[in-house]
Amino acid sequence: MNFKLSKTRKPHKLSYKGIIIEPQIRDFFAGRIWTRYNTPFPQSKVDTYILRNYFTTKKGITIRTKVLIFQRTHFTCNRCQNKIQQEFVQYTCAKCEKECVYCRHCLNMGRVTSCTDLISWIGAKPLTHKKHLLDWNGTFTEAQKEAATQLVSSIKQKRNHLNHAVCGAGKTEILFPAVHYALNRGLRVCIATPRTDVVLELFPRFQKVFPKTNIHALYGKAPKQTGFAQLVISTTHQLFRFENAFDVIIVDEADAFPYTYDQALQKAVHKVKKQDAPVALVTATPSPQILAKQKKEKWGYSFIPKRYHGHPLPIPRYESLWSYDKAIQKGRIPRKLREWTNEKLSNQEPFLIFFPTIQLMEQAIPLFQQLDERILSVHAEDTDRKEKVMKLRNEQILGLLTTTILERGITIKNVQVAVVGAESKIFTSSALIQISGRVGRNAAFPKGDIVFFHHGITAEMDEARNEIFRLNKEGFGKNETP
Amino acid sequence: MKRHEVSKCLLCNNPIDESVTWITLLSNQFPRTICSHCEDKFEPYPAEPIDKTVISLYKYNEQMKDYLHRYKFMHDVLLAKVFRHQIHQHLAKKEATIVPIPMHPEKLKERTFAHVDELLKQANIIYEHYLIKITTETQGGKTREQRINARQIFALKENQNPAGKEFILVDDIYTTGTTINQAKKILLDAKAKSVTAFTLIRR
Repeated sequence: MNFKLSKTRKPHKLSYKGIIIEPQIRDFFAGRIWTRYNTPFPQSKVDTYILRNYFTTKKGITIRTKVLIFQRTHFTCNRCQNKIQQEFVQYTCAKCEKECVYCRHCLNMGRVTSCTDLISWIGAKPLTHKKHLLDWNGTFTEAQKEAATQLVSSIKQKRNHLNHAVCGAGKTEILFPAVHYALNRGLRVCIATPRTDVVLELFPRFQKVFPKTNIHALYGKAPKQTGFAQLVISTTHQLFRFENAFDVIIVDEADAFPYTYDQALQKAVHKVKKQDAPVALVTATPSPQILAKQKKEKWGYSFIPKRYHGHPLPIPRYESLWSYDKAIQKGRIPRKLREWTNEKLSNQEPFLIFFPTIQLMEQAIPLFQQLDERILSVHAEDTDRKEKVMKLRNEQILGLLTTTILERGITIKNVQVAVVGAESKIFTSSALIQISGRVGRNAAFPKGDIVFFHHGITAEMDEARNEIFRLNKEGFGKNETP
Repeated sequence: MKRHEVSKCLLCNNPIDESVTWITLLSNQFPRTICSHCEDKFEPYPAEPIDKTVISLYKYNEQMKDYLHRYKFMHDVLLAKVFRHQIHQHLAKKEATIVPIPMHPEKLKERTFAHVDELLKQANIIYEHYLIKITTETQGGKTREQRINARQIFALKENQNPAGKEFILVDDIYTTGTTINQAKKILLDAKAKSVTAFTLIRR
């Protein structure tokens, strides 16, 4: 990756260029890579700045012809770094009257074609403040304190860091000292996460503890935010719009769905950081690849096996639920699941039931609503997702049926969890660990029920359970594991 | 036609599980481009016996709105393939000349592709332009009154003589009918034998 970054041109050393730079334009474009004809500023202004060398321009898509036996062209998107050739579409462009190419991978941010220019700012840097206020008076447990110091020292040394902490260990708080340190050094910090929900949860928390800092929260359909943000909280998708911008990058929930799979997203993180900027990964379930990389490249490492309230993680139990899909299709809830739900309803305990597919969940929701009307369902495309989770938190509804979308980042007091069809492919061991991590997060209710209803036990289920056993062992020693 | 040109649904990106049947193997059908789940969300427009001059395929529902937005405004040209099978079925056997509603050259440069032409191209339909657009204003964003009272928006293309021929006008969406009616009038005034219309969507 590095050779690409070193290619970016150094700013011209001319002091007088005939125009006074407008701070809005500088603040907006610093670190960003944007399509030339789609900026939030008047086109004539942008063109003038380009003419005066305040921007570099490059083509949206690089086309290379491999000189081999077959002269196949090879495309790379310069915005999202996508190289998957199936995602490039050739078409007859009416503007240039020839064959042009566009990238479907980042299409929903506005189309990038081989005939659009991408511009990036090379003018003066925006002013950064060095007096940021950290308004937080919580206390760390010893393990948290140690992890926080380790993270700060890694950032000081500019080396990558992996922060492995169990669900409910208080990961966000650990970030505060590190972010505060970096901001006060005048560094630009990015907290990236694969999930919009996590951005929405992190943003108010950070804004509260950094009251004097301009923070931008970037996600699809985010409201317009002005000024130069020294701290950016962004979905990994929105990172496509930055280049060579950040001095410190923290990737929260580093193993969540798109980040592990999508190579382009990993590349995006490397694209947006400055050459020697450290990357810190924060996760409860690091993949073997991440762990291997941490060892090989000698990253900093901190590990918290205990929750902040000092109680062990709840251990999931297995319940067989044979042919549950057929029963639901026939219009009845399998007995064990019905009894479980009724028990939680009569105990007045909020519950989450995870389903492997949206279809199955939609078949099941009317059946559950017959038990009690105050049960709703959510999935990724649901526009009221946020409100429904809020309702469960405020005890307006008793339970939620959900897909894996709620597997991480949500905290509900005294929640009870069931996974239906835990043997399904979508429930990987890390997903199951995350789901189990929803239970018992509150100090007042450190215990809770987590059941895997299954149609046969898979290796992933065992792996998840063994990992939870192991974490408890690490945190509490042998005697206390149940 | 490549059989496996599209492996993932163009709309939701889930893999398409198209089962191989004798029909798909032996006939020359277009391969699927969207998954059955997405396809079910499109609502077919009921065939209207009263107004036989305008045939439409789909209703304008949320799914269609999303599709049209991605195709026309996000400029995802590839999505022209989604309805090629249905368009082919309706227009391939027709004897009449197929005339797509044209775009203004300036607008065309802006969008970089002609959306109606592209739909027909992907469906392997031969078409011919008889009209040119002379205004740059669009119908979208106008009220019903404004649309109906709109000034002339088309003119006959030079060197084209529609006299005595049959025509089918093709457009993407039919809202008040102003576009289709104006185009129809131009062709009928130039002594066309008959003019019917075909649109993908009808409000």
